[in-house]
Amino acid sequence: MTVALTIDGIGVSFAGVKAVDNVSMLVHEGELRVLLGANGAGKTTLMDLISGKTRSTDGRVFLFETEITNWSPNRIARAGIGRKFQIPSVFRDFSVRGNLNVASCTDPRIRSNLGIGIPRTRRQRIEEVLELTGLAEFAETPAANLSHGQTQWLELGMLIVQNPKLLLLDEPTAGMTQNETHKTAEIIKGLRGQHTILVVEHDMAFVREIAEQITVMHLGRVLAEGSMTAIERNEAVRHAYLGSYGISAEAV
Amino acid sequence: MITQRRLDRAAYILFIALILLAPLVLGDFWVNRIAKFLVFGIVAVAVSLCWGYGGILNLGQGLFFGAGAYMLAMSLKLASATSMQQGSDHPVPDFMLWNADPGAPTELCCINRGSFLWLPFQWQWFGVVMGILLPVLLAGGLGLVVFRKRIAGVFVSVITLALVLLVRLVVIDAQPLTNGFNGLTDLGTFHVAGFGFDPYARATYYLVAGFLILTLVGSRLLVETRAGLILQAIRDDQNRARYLGFDVPIYQLFFFTVSAAISGLAGMLYVIVAEFASPTFMDLSFSITMVVWAALGGRASLLGACIGAILINVIAASISETATFVEAWKAIIGVVFVLVVLYLPRGLAGFAQDFGERLERRFADSGKTTTPGVIPQAQVPRGQAP
Repeated sequence: MTVALTIDGIGVSFAGVKAVDNVSMLVHEGELRVLLGANGAGKTTLMDLISGKTRSTDGRVFLFETEITNWSPNRIARAGIGRKFQIPSVFRDFSVRGNLNVASCTDPRIRSNLGIGIPRTRRQRIEEVLELTGLAEFAETPAANLSHGQTQWLELGMLIVQNPKLLLLDEPTAGMTQNETHKTAEIIKGLRGQHTILVVEHDMAFVREIAEQITVMHLGRVLAEGSMTAIERNEAVRHAYLGSYGISAEAV
Repeated sequence: MITQRRLDRAAYILFIALILLAPLVLGDFWVNRIAKFLVFGIVAVAVSLCWGYGGILNLGQGLFFGAGAYMLAMSLKLASATSMQQGSDHPVPDFMLWNADPGAPTELCCINRGSFLWLPFQWQWFGVVMGILLPVLLAGGLGLVVFRKRIAGVFVSVITLALVLLVRLVVIDAQPLTNGFNGLTDLGTFHVAGFGFDPYARATYYLVAGFLILTLVGSRLLVETRAGLILQAIRDDQNRARYLGFDVPIYQLFFFTVSAAISGLAGMLYVIVAEFASPTFMDLSFSITMVVWAALGGRASLLGACIGAILINVIAASISETATFVEAWKAIIGVVFVLVVLYLPRGLAGFAQDFGERLERRFADSGKTTTPGVIPQAQVPRGQAP
């Protein structure tokens, strides 16, 4: 199986504190990996390091064969890593379709974007994504008027339109109702196999619904890695992260 | 949506028709005056492109306008009759001799240390090319630093503001080269293939009107390209655009530079119409006035900003000449600006759009009452530009 993402001993410290410390990790192509961990465990920082938001002080990151360590964010995005932020960010003055149109400009150069209109093949892809994210009937709605959940799906849709090799989803269900969470799980499950996905999530119900492989982080390090059941039984995880209650929705 | 587009196109056509027909009913004096205001309309398009579409509030637009103006004015100064009467075979600007040291040579090459810079301006087209090139280079250099450093928002405004004041001081200080405070006056006429553009002639009006239409339509097409959409996306959320893979500074730089080129063009046209270039073009108040035009007309609408500039100037020209309003006019425009920012953030264009949308809804409603079961989708007001 091909390895999509290789993280090799990456680390960064802020004012002497190691936020991420010597983390290594392999994510295979088509895999859906969940990153678990308490607040401050370094999950979001790890995503920042992968997507170029934060520069690492040690270690290396590879996307397939290409080393992308400390590239600029736009170059990393172009290389095929789509990042969804914890606080959903979309282009609020644009309609839903307008947002997807912008995202679908896969060639970043100005010269090649001096034409008007979106080519037909990409328009088709946009229609598919509108269906997939359930936003088809809101296609012409200004993004500013979407609900919180819809905004999250739109941002997810903008990434999918770009056909990234790797999706980084930072708490895709943050602030969602149960129904919305469930729908998000459906969308993500729909992507399984076609995209390699790395998800940071707190919501255990959601994690149970989607997780295959789980990596648990604690104080900037990888604590454990394995399937849901293996993680639930892991003593170190119980001790460090879950207290004596074991993994359950209540504990989180 | 479709009605909106149609109204939009109708507005452009109506506006273009109006400025093309205006000289038929205007006297020579007003033709010249309106031509100046059309130049301001071009400037407002540049401001709208940069501010309304790019989110970059340039408080030093006058720098680019002034750069364009001075470049052409230098050529026209050398083409002036007085420059040939200074006792040399080659044109020499009169003020240079007035400012020269006693016993200095009277040839353009060596009157003072910098006068050789004027030499290539003997060719009018050199001045024309420089009138675009200099603003583009200035904007390119400035933008490269500012946008690469991810300086945004009010800091860009402060930097551009400081820069225009700095250049203004330098121009005034370089009196032997620029005639300082007095600026370049007593200019020759602009010639194309032997045809002279007299400032009061209708040909000059149409020269300006032609460039205004070109700028307006060209800019409109530009913002509708994918690159234009990406620029607006960057205005909405720079970070999101960056993480979608767009090189944000390049886009900002490109449109900032286009805006500067348009301002430079406007500066040149102004010199042709007004027959002078002066450091007042780089006064802070002038740059801010440009922003006021765009804000009143609607910064997120190229046509709106353009109409805003023309309208304000027409009103100012008619009202401020009556004794009561000479002094009050500036206060009035100030109050109007504050009111627009507070209550009409999208300017006159936003007002017109809302009106258009209301019309559209009314049409849509009356059409849909005949088809039961169809609930007209609620119209939601468009979000305000940040």
